[in-house]
Amino acid sequence: MIVRSATINKIAERSRNDFSPLCGVTIWRQAEDLILRDYVVSAASEISAGGGSNGDNPTNLGVTDFSLVAATLDTNNAYKFMSGIEGMDRFGTGPVRSSYFMLSSTELQPDFDGLMGSGFLSQWNYPSNSSALPSEYGNVFNIRILTSSEAPVARGTSAKGNDVYYNTVVGKQAVTHINQDGFSMNLIYRDPYYSGMLAQNATLAVKFAQAQAITQDTAIRNLLSTRLSNLGV
Amino acid sequence: MTEYSRMAKGSFTAVGTSAIVNLPFQPDFVEIWNYSIIKTAAANKVAHAWWDNKLQDGSNNPTMVEIYNNASAVVFDTIQTNGISAFQAGQLLQYGPTKQIIGATAANPVVFNVTAHGYQVGDTVVFEGLYQTQFTAGMAQMSNIQFTISVVGDADHFTVKWDGSGSNYTALSASPSGATVKKVLYPFLYVPQVSVISAITLGATTTIVTTDYHNFEVGQQVAFRIPNVAAVPALSPPAWGTTQLNSLPNLLTPGAPNYGYVVSVTDNWTFVVNINSSAYTAFNVNIPIVNVPGLSFPQVLSVGDVNTGGNIISAGSPLYPSPQFPTSTNRVPTINGPAIRGAFVNNTSQGFVIGSGAAAADVSAAVTMIANTNIVYWHAYLHDLSLP
Repeated sequence: MIVRSATINKIAERSRNDFSPLCGVTIWRQAEDLILRDYVVSAASEISAGGGSNGDNPTNLGVTDFSLVAATLDTNNAYKFMSGIEGMDRFGTGPVRSSYFMLSSTELQPDFDGLMGSGFLSQWNYPSNSSALPSEYGNVFNIRILTSSEAPVARGTSAKGNDVYYNTVVGKQAVTHINQDGFSMNLIYRDPYYSGMLAQNATLAVKFAQAQAITQDTAIRNLLSTRLSNLGV
Repeated sequence: MTEYSRMAKGSFTAVGTSAIVNLPFQPDFVEIWNYSIIKTAAANKVAHAWWDNKLQDGSNNPTMVEIYNNASAVVFDTIQTNGISAFQAGQLLQYGPTKQIIGATAANPVVFNVTAHGYQVGDTVVFEGLYQTQFTAGMAQMSNIQFTISVVGDADHFTVKWDGSGSNYTALSASPSGATVKKVLYPFLYVPQVSVISAITLGATTTIVTTDYHNFEVGQQVAFRIPNVAAVPALSPPAWGTTQLNSLPNLLTPGAPNYGYVVSVTDNWTFVVNINSSAYTAFNVNIPIVNVPGLSFPQVLSVGDVNTGGNIISAGSPLYPSPQFPTSTNRVPTINGPAIRGAFVNNTSQGFVIGSGAAAADVSAAVTMIANTNIVYWHAYLHDLSLP
């Protein structure tokens, strides 16, 4: 089944000083990611982490939570994103299972590090980094973890009032977006002369009409978690 | 010298003492005229209000107002909090101020006592720390769930749809430490969204009650995620009980989804699906509090194609009019429209809010900027240059 969504998004004109840092990232992709993030948080079902030890609801992430979510997606016949990485005779490395992707907050990275030795494998401990993505932090069992500062967090909403992190675990067929016919993405740049009477500002913008789609709702789960401890982030 | 300034103006007839005005920008200055009061002077009413986002009075960003005071003389005043403000509902998970819970009834439905909560029917809230005795007794089973308020009893009490009458719930009293509530400012950025199930009535068709507005329409295809809680000691019926509604596995055709369709919508919280659940296990929210850590909630979510529920613009048209989302009294159009058929509604928006805060100096009555049936004209600006 395919569900569709119509969205016309536009990053408004910004001053030159403001848009300069944005040139370092692909603003179209970033805008798409934020839209899809909010959409998935709104529309996909949730599993509360229960494998951690902090006694909250949800708990911090434990390795059993990774197993549970992967087993759920496997049971639902979700497709994994990445094939495994075969073990090599390299000190400190270990094989990586075929995996789903999990999108997590950078604020959880200390918790992932805390799972080292009980299931977490840092991306730097992969036998080969050739398939690792730039934002990839590591792997636990059948899940490879991507971290971003833009990952969704519900501040102070757990049973004990702690921050709740939405860790979105996706199978390959779970989500997509569809560009609407006749309204392809436009990258717009107008130099200062054309952007205003006084030529003070330039314009950089993207404009696109897009449909977010959960193509298979059984192949996606938001794994909700808290952190093991507050680290003042 | 204007280059990127934005200006907008408009008018509306007020419904209540607050209003949201959607704009293609977030203004830094807003001015409103209450024509009804200007035309017909009335004591303790606001004729003119204006707000600048840079104005700071202590920790407040007040709105300046020109009012008829208790003696019907025109005076200046301020609204220190909950006046005019800009908003951007483009990022999920924004919350209002955290408020202390004084108490809550262990009943069906649950009534919360929060001093001067300021909420209205239709507001969505989330609770935290609902422990009467830390981590051993209370109503923590309701934490981290979005509830849309169903009844506002008075200024200090409101009701949400949850059965807290079970033996595993302990009423809250005497302002338990850490028991708080806050408003979810923009709960429906995309609709219909995943919702937590509050109650299920089994039968030839199945009636579902959600904790927040479900935003479903007749014909909507829905899926269920109902965790099986391994309660200790075991419960009868088990929690959450009705796991037969789960989409997978379907025992007849393993791997095949087992979805239902909405056949009627009773109200914003309640709908009926075409699943015969007569032989299913009863739904049960009486979860032991020891099971709260790691507790996943029963959920219903939308799949399939009938999501906006709007009326087609004309026969044969591929388009719906601007999608709408429900409020306690009516349905409000989103700014995104028209939509394609079967679309999830992207309800992100921005603009300004006219709050229901009262004047600070004239306290002889609650002097709000607008009131029901007032004709209100507004101007909104986003300036290029703002000094300092």
